[in-house]
Amino acid sequence: MYDKTVRRRRAVLALLVVLSLILLTAYFGEASSGGLHSVQRGFLTVVSPIQNGANKALKPVRDLVGWFGDTLHAKGQRDELRKQVDKLRGEVIANQSEKHAYRELLTLYHLDNQLSVNDYHPVTATVVAKSPNVWYSTVTIDKGESSGVHVNDPVINGEGLVGKVAQAASDGAQVTLITDSSVGVSARIGTSNATGIVQPKVGDPNDLLLQYLPANTQANRGEYVVTSGTVSSSHDSLYPPGIPIGQVTSVNEESAYRSVNVHPLADLHNLDVVQVLTAAQGTLPANLSRLAANLPAGQHAEGTTGESLALAGSGG
Amino acid sequence: MNTGFSSALLVRIAVMAVVVVFFQIGVVSEVPVFGVSADLSPLLVAFVGLLCGSTIGAATGFAVGLLVDLALVQTLGVTSLTLTVVGYWAGRLRELRDPQAALTPLLVGAAAAAAAAIGYSLVQFLLGVDAPVSFELLRQIVLGVVVDTIIALPVWAIVRRCLIGGLPDDPRRRRRRAYTTGGLSPLSRS
Repeated sequence: MYDKTVRRRRAVLALLVVLSLILLTAYFGEASSGGLHSVQRGFLTVVSPIQNGANKALKPVRDLVGWFGDTLHAKGQRDELRKQVDKLRGEVIANQSEKHAYRELLTLYHLDNQLSVNDYHPVTATVVAKSPNVWYSTVTIDKGESSGVHVNDPVINGEGLVGKVAQAASDGAQVTLITDSSVGVSARIGTSNATGIVQPKVGDPNDLLLQYLPANTQANRGEYVVTSGTVSSSHDSLYPPGIPIGQVTSVNEESAYRSVNVHPLADLHNLDVVQVLTAAQGTLPANLSRLAANLPAGQHAEGTTGESLALAGSGG
Repeated sequence: MNTGFSSALLVRIAVMAVVVVFFQIGVVSEVPVFGVSADLSPLLVAFVGLLCGSTIGAATGFAVGLLVDLALVQTLGVTSLTLTVVGYWAGRLRELRDPQAALTPLLVGAAAAAAAAIGYSLVQFLLGVDAPVSFELLRQIVLGVVVDTIIALPVWAIVRRCLIGGLPDDPRRRRRRAYTTGGLSPLSRS
């Protein structure tokens, strides 16, 4: 009796193990279209609705159990994410600053290429301080005499003329912006040869006025105003010719002279990187003059950069 | 030893196996604990073996394994093979030692979970599944065994409660009960 029981038990075990091995070998060896795979697919077809039903019925249980785990997990995640947010916020701020600086450098680079600013030995500088009130339109840059910066050197950025150096120290300089009342720039409207003086508009220090134009000067809204450079040996200009200053916004009819309102191209409130033209005085590159003469009219000031201006100029 | 099992018991085992497999797939697998999911099937098979003996344990292991392989579209025979061995081993433990300690289900559950996990991994490696033996794999196996050990006692209680009514009266247990109640104690006879 005992032997029979033992034999039966061992036979059952051997049978099940052998059956498992046969299943395993056959399943592993056959193609996906084989018999065992078909049986498995058939089983799945039959069982799937039951599984779906069970899955839906058991969802509340699953959710309940999962809720405890999720809550604990969420707490840990929250703390970790808070740390990440703090870290990323710092990185975003740093990236934004770098992006802003990069854009300015890129526009300066394009301006250099298009207007041959390199001929004027530009020194790239970063604005380190700005005048905190509206009375003084000045900024301080981090380059000075040790870098070749001198008083009265023109200062530009990627969009156009910014101002001139008012004072220069060894490793820094103060730049007076073109919106400062002490600054006057010899300028002309792009398509004409009539020259005038650009100065801040009285009562609106953020806007400019191109004054003393001949009465018969034709000026249209949207035309570019550029520096005229030296027009005669008796009137030597500080600024090289062809540097964009702004766009005409309106024309004022006056008796003896005509004046036009000009909106500066450079965003003087958000200066970050500028270039000081350290060899501007007394040089007159011919290509700048030609480019300035070909500047197009009728474009809006918003979103216009020195790059697009120069590109448009060379295309026209 | 395994004679006298009623068809009612086999039906109970079959129903429990189906319910446990679907509960495993539908609920337990969806709830990770310590990054792993508990596996009820080796616990069920081991406890059936522990209650009903090696033959029933091995047969239950084979059936549950086949059901799992079919439902999860796995290689047929892999889970059957491992769970057959687990069920047989648990049944032999009962037949040879008949452990009565309260922690026996805990230890049997842990051993069953470990044997199933390791056996399944070994068969997979033998089949040439391209998976490196990494620390992560070992961690998963160890954590799975720990989780199964934690739930072993409740699962044992449920399995025992479901099957106890269909189990034949074991003469050895009857003798043991008699000792504890005093009915057949040698002391009382003397």
